[in-house]
Parts: sequence; structure tokens; C-alpha cells
Amino acid sequence: MLRLTDIVGHATDADIAERLHQMEHDGVVERIHLSRRDLSRRRQRVTTDRGTEVALMLDRSSGLDNGAVLLLEPARAVLVVLDEPQWLVLGATSAAGALEAGYFAGNMHWKVRFDGERLWVLLEGPRDDYLKRLSHLLARGHAQVIDAPPAPAAGVRYLAVPHAH
Amino acid sequence: MSAQLNPHARPRGAARVGIGGPVGSGKTALLEQLIPRFMARGTDIAVITNDLVTAEDAERVRRSGLIAPERVLAVETGACPHTAIREDPTLNLAAADELDRAYPGLELILIESGGDNLASSFSLDLVDYWLFVIDVAGGDDIPRKRGLGVLQCDLLVINKVDLAPHVRVNLDRMVSEAHEVRLGRPTLLTNCAHGDGVDAVVERIAQEVLFDR
Ligand SMILES: Nc1nc2c(ncn2[C@@H]2O[C@H](COP(=O)(O)OP(=O)(O)OP(=O)(O)O)[C@@H](O)[C@H]2O)c(=O)[nH]1
Ligand SMILES: [Mg+2]
Repeated sequence: MLRLTDIVGHATDADIAERLHQMEHDGVVERIHLSRRDLSRRRQRVTTDRGTEVALMLDRSSGLDNGAVLLLEPARAVLVVLDEPQWLVLGATSAAGALEAGYFAGNMHWKVRFDGERLWVLLEGPRDDYLKRLSHLLARGHAQVIDAPPAPAAGVRYLAVPHAH
Repeated sequence: MSAQLNPHARPRGAARVGIGGPVGSGKTALLEQLIPRFMARGTDIAVITNDLVTAEDAERVRRSGLIAPERVLAVETGACPHTAIREDPTLNLAAADELDRAYPGLELILIESGGDNLASSFSLDLVDYWLFVIDVAGGDDIPRKRGLGVLQCDLLVINKVDLAPHVRVNLDRMVSEAHEVRLGRPTLLTNCAHGDGVDAVVERIAQEVLFDR
């Protein structure tokens, strides 16, 4: 088991990018694919795409992000890759429908982002589960699923949904 | 050898493991079963409990004699126990930092949340790994109800299995439905009154976050 404790750089740092590019040819770059959720863990057991077991134990004050490099040695590099999240994109057919959909998503503690007249819901489980939960809104036509949405504008923020109880 | 590849590299500070679940499901009972087992395997351990307006659970663990009383800290959460473990875990983070400072060799902090409902969950800013304890006597349809805690926890513990025959609960069905809604993530069965099944919980926590072997 490889024990990794530090973030040594970022795949986009110019000199690191160059080294990774070289090493890629020798097949010694290993990637750890993480969901957005697992990205926020400081300590976890993970496996790289080449099957190396890794005990990841970072300082409480540090945080992983997409491209974080955990090891950069002549013979091996390990970096973290964010498994891109899946979204369910909803549109509303009326202001009333939009209010209801927004209220409902908040009540469910779903992570959402607002994109003009669309509500993007981050799927943290099977898409069907979310559709089932939304069935009352969908059946009444208050909301609709937008199947092939355009990519969202850059810089759309995640919103933590506040709640009162 | 580089520091990076040091096979003996130790984490800085203790692993933090959350124990959540509905009121009365057996969170403190599980704590009381876990503490001596971790101590027996040589794990340096401390505890944080969360209660609404008292330090009831902390007092109970301190009195148990299982662990030095000063290693048990209490957080009072007020009326909203899940806020203290999810939206604003400041108090729990401060308590955990305090334990890390007080006990330099500390390896594991177990954090019991205040009893809540099926939707409570832990922030991963606070814990590295979290358990959700449900109770057989709550009914075998609990997993099917897809509460956030049941769905998202790293390890689901179905406790009070000894009560299954008395409350006409089909344990097999409960387990298979838990497996289904959790997409195969682990579920373990315990009887925390006697300790049955608790060794497997210890094993799982050690495997996922202790890295001490
Ligand atoms: N029969 C049986 N009783 C249990 C078991 N585990 C816990 N209990 C009992 O269930 C009751 C509640 O247990 P606790 O450990 O206090 O539950 P808790 O989840 O910590 O409760 P809160 O912190 O108040 O939410 C106590 O009377 C325990 O003795 C078990 O496995 N079997
Ligand atoms: Mg308790």
C-alpha cells in the first residue's frame, strides 16, 4: 500500500505538466478517479487506475481538487481526477412550477445550480431515483426534464441549500 | 528514499469517524462496544458526543469506565442536531482539534451525533468516514424509505438484530433492500446489547481510515 500524505503540486503547473507529459509516454502516470463527494475526504483508501492501493492521509487544512498531484517521482506519478458529475436538468413551464421545483429540490437537500431558466440537479445516485421523486411535478407538467442541455456557462456556483428545521 | 514513499508515513492527527442515526437506534451502545475493541487492538482513541441540551451521552460514556473520562468531550447542539454535524460543524471541529492537540498520538476520534431522523448526514469536512445506525425495531421498511442517512453513509449498521423475531421483522429482506438502495455499499448487522457483529465494524473502520497495519 502506497501511503501518500501531501499534495505536491497541480497537473496544470507548467513544469509539472511537462514532466507528466514525458512520463505519460513511459506509462508511469497513475490516476485516482474520485467523485466530487470523495474529493472532499482527507483520509481514505483508494485504488489507482493501475491497481495500486493508496492510503491517502492529508492534513485537515488541505483539500484535493481536480488535477492535484500526490506523488511525482522519476519512476511514478499519482494524480487525482474528478469523475465528472452527472446532472439532471429541469425546466419549468410556469413561474408556479419553477417555485415548486426549487422548493422541492431544496427540501430534498439536492445540490443544484441555477442556470437562467434551468435548474441543474447534481445526481448523487441513479437518475431514475430522482425522476421517481419528481414524478408528481413531472406528471402535472409543472416541470420537465430537458434531455440534451447545452453545457452550462462557466463559473456557475454550487449553492448550499439552507433549511430551517 | 523520499519522504513521499516512506512506508511508515503516519497521518497527522486522528482519523475522524461519525456515528449517526435516529433517536434510540443504539449509537451510544455501539460506542460502548467499539471503545474496548479499539483499545484491545492498540488504537489510541477518544470520543465526542452530541446531545441536545445536556451532556447525557458523554456522562454515560465517562461513567462506563471504558475510557479515561477526559478523553470524552460533549458538544451541545441545541434543537437541531444535524446542523452540528453537517451545515455548521464548527463546534465538533473545535472539539476534535482540541483532542488532537491534547493527545499527540491520538489515532481515532469517534463522533456520535445527536439522535435525529433518517435524513441526517455528516459533513466530510468533519469526518473521514461515517456510520449510520438504524434499529430493527424501527421496521424492516426503513431502508426502502431511502432516507439520506441510509443512502449516503459509508457503512450502514442495522442494530438490535436480537429483536427481529419480537417485532416481526424480516431481517433478510431488510438487508437485501439496504443493499439495493445503497448500490452495494456495505451494511453490517449488530446486537450492541451483547456485542455480536461489532468486530466486523471495527475491522471495517480500521481498513478504511486507520492504515496502521
Ligand atoms: N435489545 C437490544 N437493545 C439495544 C441494542 N442496542 C441498544 N439497545 C438499547 O436501546 C436503547 C437505546 O440505546 P442507545 O445506545 O442509548 O441509543 P442512541 O442511539 O445512543 O440514543 P440517542 O443518543 O438518544 O439518540 C437502550 O435502552 C439500549 O440498551 C441491541 O442491539 N439490542
Ligand atoms: Mg446516544
